[in-house]
Amino acid sequence: MSFRVDVFEGMRIALFSLRANRMRTVLTTAGIGIGVATLLAILGIIQGLNASFEQQLASLGSTSLYVSKWKWGGGPDWWLMRNRKNLGFKHVEAVRSQSTYARSVAAFVQGTADVEFVGLQLNMVTALGVSEQYIDSSGYEMASGRFVNQVDDDNESAVVVLGADVVETLFRGANPLGMSVRLDGRPFRVIGTLARRGKMLDMNFDRSVLIPIKTHLARFGKWRSLNILVSVDQVQHMAAAQDELVGILRRARGTPPEAMDDFSINKPEQFMEMYQKLTGALYAVVAGIGFITLLVGGIGIMNIMLVSVRERTREIGVRRALGARKRTIVLQFLMEASAVSAVGGALGTAVGLGTAQIIAAVSPLAAAVQPLTVVFGIGFAALVGLLFGIWPAARAANLDPVEALRYE
Amino acid sequence: MLISIENITRNFTVGGEEVRALQGVSFGVDKGEWVAIVGQSGSGKSTLMNVLGCLDTPSSGTYMLNGNNVSQMQDDELALIRNKEIGFIFQTFQLLPRETALANVELPLVYRGLRAKERRERAKQALDKVQLSHRMHHRPNELSGGQRQRVAIARALVAEPSLLLADEPTGNLDSATGEEIIRLFQQLHQAGHTLVLVTHEPKLAARCPRAIRLSDGKIVADGPGREVAHGDGPVAQAVAS
Repeated sequence: MSFRVDVFEGMRIALFSLRANRMRTVLTTAGIGIGVATLLAILGIIQGLNASFEQQLASLGSTSLYVSKWKWGGGPDWWLMRNRKNLGFKHVEAVRSQSTYARSVAAFVQGTADVEFVGLQLNMVTALGVSEQYIDSSGYEMASGRFVNQVDDDNESAVVVLGADVVETLFRGANPLGMSVRLDGRPFRVIGTLARRGKMLDMNFDRSVLIPIKTHLARFGKWRSLNILVSVDQVQHMAAAQDELVGILRRARGTPPEAMDDFSINKPEQFMEMYQKLTGALYAVVAGIGFITLLVGGIGIMNIMLVSVRERTREIGVRRALGARKRTIVLQFLMEASAVSAVGGALGTAVGLGTAQIIAAVSPLAAAVQPLTVVFGIGFAALVGLLFGIWPAARAANLDPVEALRYE
Repeated sequence: MLISIENITRNFTVGGEEVRALQGVSFGVDKGEWVAIVGQSGSGKSTLMNVLGCLDTPSSGTYMLNGNNVSQMQDDELALIRNKEIGFIFQTFQLLPRETALANVELPLVYRGLRAKERRERAKQALDKVQLSHRMHHRPNELSGGQRQRVAIARALVAEPSLLLADEPTGNLDSATGEEIIRLFQQLHQAGHTLVLVTHEPKLAARCPRAIRLSDGKIVADGPGREVAHGDGPVAQAVAS
């Protein structure tokens, strides 16, 4: 008998047996279904998180280099970085005049301020002091008005551009342009508002105010080290641009040849590493939970298959007497096990995806499911059934036909 | 010679003790013969039946079935031989309870690898031969005992095996129905089928043209059914001496 017939007959018997034991099928299916549903719901959430994070990361710019006294993400040698000399305007100028790869060079400093408008107050808002080039490559876009310019900077003007959350909370639909807000008690005139940008990790880009960098240094303290945001003209030039930057800055800062760099060049990809470090452990736990759930489902399948084999001992004997080979019997039971599992997998997939969508709808978590995940869910369930069906199927096939026929 | 058995033994180990179920059995069966194998329980007739049916292999000796040396065969080959050469008829019918009569009869053809249409056609013909084509869509539990055994006989006939092997075929039937089945066997015998029938009922064995009596794993009589059936015929004594 050919393999095709083996498979065909196995499938027919499997479906027949599933129909004949409806209640049992439903219960067994539920076990594996719950496993797959759990796994897929979590996977959906994770994929959603990843997608939104990658989107945010892209907004930082794939051609951006951030020169800073500090290395992003910190590290065990933070005290070394604390002793570094500050970056100042002469370093910004050096980069601006000497770099051949830079499309735009912006300077910025970062602090926090309490923002107030007619009695409404937002505390600990990110207050950025920026040069006019900052808008070119920072990822922000204007919603209304204008950005900070060189004249504002030279005059240390008290002007401010507001982030989307600040506008929403303090102005509640009113037009903020031309209004006066207070930053740590000092009045600033609103000249522009920023388009909504979103969050990344624990950073909320929309809860921010942007003022001229010199104004920032004058009002909030001159001790801050500057950050330099370099926008490289082409992605292919990133490595060369970074090498060039190192040279320019070492010369400008008079770093001795034997000394290490006394500044850090940060890239948005570093956030990816931080993100992966943060979420890696989470994924491992989730994968573990999913694995255990499927294991439990699989054991359920094995249990029910063993019962099925015992119940059908005589049937196996009859089939063997009439010419079924061991292989045929093995296939019959494997098909039955994987059919139950696949049905469970399909139901679990539907429930899991639905759950992910519901979670996405009622919580700030995003859910995204790639089509492959669905195939994976059903396929993986069938595989679990297959694996846990092997032992019962082998037991069925190895029954002695004489004993099996006599079984009561 | 359809069946040729030479000095067959079959030993089992039960609870650490060796049981010698068959102790050197030899006989032959020609095509078209109708032979009963009789004996008390424990005489080894069930073991012989399992060996004849290729469900079990002898510990030693040779068994030639229709030119094949089945005593040396592996599991898969034996399955093939069972499918091709043997039609089983059991005391308890051994029909699959969830399948219809037709599907039960089709089963040997499934394992032979025939396509559905041809299977159906041949299964219907086989059911026709046992006068059951009007019940073919019924499940076993909707059939009487006699009808069930006739379905089983149709299943044994459908693959056109060279040997029909019946194990106490009337054991679970009342005498009238049993009589019906025996008459069906007579028809099959007249149509040229080879029949081997294992039974402990002397009355049934007496109606077979030939009977073989087993006792303690050995043949003690081989001759016309009437004489061997009651264990005291002249042939029996001849073999014993």
